[in-house]
Amino acid sequence: MIYLDHAAATPVADKVLTAMKPYFAAEFFNPSSPYLPAKKVAAEYETTKGAIAHAIGAKASDIVITAGATEANNLAFTAAEGGILYLETEHDSVRRVAESLGGESIKVLPSGLVDLKDLREKITDETEMISISLANNELGTIQPLAEVAEIIRETKLDRMKRGIKKQLLLHSDASQALNLLDINVARLGVDLLTLNAAKVYGPKGVGALYVSHDARLHPLVAGGGQEKGLRSGTENVPGVIGFAVAIDEAKKHLKSNRAKYKEMRQILLSELADYELINRKHALDNFVVLCYDGLDAERLVFLLEAKEVYVATGAACAASKGVRSHVLSAIGLPESKIAGSLRLSLGELNDVDQIHTAARIINEVIKSEKDRIDG
Amino acid sequence: MAKTVYVGMSGGVDSSVAALLLVEQGYEVVGVYMKNWSEDLPGMKCPWAEDLADAKRVAVKLGIDFEVWDFEQEYKEKVVEYMLTEFRKGNTPNPDIMCNQEIKFKLFYEKAMAAGADFIATGHYARVKDGQLMRAVDENKDQTYFLYRISEEALAHTLFPIGEMKKPEVKKLAEKHGLHNAYKKESMGVCFVGEVGMKDFLKEYIETEPGEIREMESERVLGYHEGVIFYTIGQRHGLYLSGVTGEVNDGMPYYVVKKDIKNNIVYVSKNLNSDQLWTKELQLKECLFRLGGFRSAAARELAPAARGDGPAGRDPERDKHSSISVRLRHRAPLIPATFDGEKLRFEKEIKRPASGQSAVLYDGEICLGGGIII
Repeated sequence: MIYLDHAAATPVADKVLTAMKPYFAAEFFNPSSPYLPAKKVAAEYETTKGAIAHAIGAKASDIVITAGATEANNLAFTAAEGGILYLETEHDSVRRVAESLGGESIKVLPSGLVDLKDLREKITDETEMISISLANNELGTIQPLAEVAEIIRETKLDRMKRGIKKQLLLHSDASQALNLLDINVARLGVDLLTLNAAKVYGPKGVGALYVSHDARLHPLVAGGGQEKGLRSGTENVPGVIGFAVAIDEAKKHLKSNRAKYKEMRQILLSELADYELINRKHALDNFVVLCYDGLDAERLVFLLEAKEVYVATGAACAASKGVRSHVLSAIGLPESKIAGSLRLSLGELNDVDQIHTAARIINEVIKSEKDRIDG
Repeated sequence: MAKTVYVGMSGGVDSSVAALLLVEQGYEVVGVYMKNWSEDLPGMKCPWAEDLADAKRVAVKLGIDFEVWDFEQEYKEKVVEYMLTEFRKGNTPNPDIMCNQEIKFKLFYEKAMAAGADFIATGHYARVKDGQLMRAVDENKDQTYFLYRISEEALAHTLFPIGEMKKPEVKKLAEKHGLHNAYKKESMGVCFVGEVGMKDFLKEYIETEPGEIREMESERVLGYHEGVIFYTIGQRHGLYLSGVTGEVNDGMPYYVVKKDIKNNIVYVSKNLNSDQLWTKELQLKECLFRLGGFRSAAARELAPAARGDGPAGRDPERDKHSSISVRLRHRAPLIPATFDGEKLRFEKEIKRPASGQSAVLYDGEICLGGGIII
């Protein structure tokens, strides 16, 4: 198997699994229970949350653990009553919520980067929250969040001068970026940041939302009042333990990973034939988005699947719903090119030899598909 | 040059194997997914995108072209609207029969022929011989009940590649060729209604008023219903009578014997011998027969020697006594009957089928056609 879809899911790392295991049975206690063994688990849970927070330059008390990034994104939007701006290429878990709250979308440039001019024009005195992912899930495009934060700072200053008190928060979904970018909430200038364990070799169904002191959230899940009342439900102790180990590993190998993926990406780009590279610049090193104009990417996925090479079309979700990628249309790709686009995302399951093999197999499949069409 | 076949592929194992067989038989094959319905219902996600992907994966595996033809608008107009209208009238229509008549063997057929097809094909269990629709080899799976209304012309250009096979063989062949559809859960019932069931579907689309359930003989009010259209004659489950399901006092069940649409009343009876439940006759409407239909059967049956000299097939006297067998539901047993062009007559009393259902007529293995029960 050659798995080139790490943006969709990653396998849980051995270290992560080992760390999680004791908390399923031996250390099964409910952190809210009054006796010592439970209190011990509660303490470990808090310490571990601290480690997760620390990895992004925050404190344990700034973090709300959720059941995945989708929930974290949903929770983030409870900070605003309206006046929402969101990037048009956001993941559905941002886009759908923002739309339902009457949000307005910000355009991207053909490069996939946020159109800062459009952003400036759309910010009004009513704007309360801006949501722009750190790295896009289909293209890997890394957004210039610091520049966005600067625009926000200027806007706030201007508002203060004019005596306007409205909040202006920056939310970013960093699900895809955690193991490739050094994330620091202060440096990014975000008020809300979504993290996802499942994309960094941690367990699925575990996410976190960083919340600055400027943001006031409202719980989506009421109950026992866990996570400072913002997310009720017995704590997912093994999930959080696993998440912390996964983040730690990601941090440790940030530089070596980037170098490794850069090399692999280069191999693909030089050995593959007859493609157009869609995410030429500003992308995460492990994202390679290719277009084979005139071919049907879904057919390619099935042909590659038969050779145990697993890739995605524009977006895994989009393909299974039978809807064309909104991200690829946002960057101005015509219908035929969207239909012919493949996303390869590299990760731990890959080595250089595999990448050479993958390039050969993809080339063969492309050739056979072209022959079929011509014949 | 190889003949071209457009095969309807639903993503299920039957149509996948149909496509496989056509490829093996040397046809130039084009797979088509007919997108007829994509709306989700409360509690049910329409699986069309997954089905499409399943169909496409097979097409890619077989190395054939694959297209998606969108018939949603037409399906809504011709099949769903028809169904809702009939239910509103108190009838129990069969949308699958309508789908075959109007969509698969009309629109799909016409579009395929216009695209250069020599034949169309589907994964139905049925056969065609000398232009006649024939029951499938797998008696248990035979789908001619759903196909009886397709036109002579479409049938003449239709292939049913799996009609000679039994279902287990079809599955085995799929497995042998690594078609993942072999393991797919079989879809049951009307495709767009799916697992939520017809009642829940109708609730979404038809406004109903609650009304009385009365005893047929005494006019006594025994309980209340959610809408007459949800009930069928002969039904005994799902009746809420004085808080007791399907029975009152003596433990004998009540049966629905009459639906008064106008006054919104459902009539029930304990009398299993009620005339409303049994009949020896059925009146049919909108009959459709191919290739001379039941008349040719009559000719064969009664006057084999006379055939060929004179208008034997059109002798009204013979037609009156045309003896055939009838199927009143998919997979129901064949019942011997005679037919005069309008009325079916049975030797013994049969349970009265719901109006709007189809009676399909057979002469041996040949599916002659049929009509809709009044």
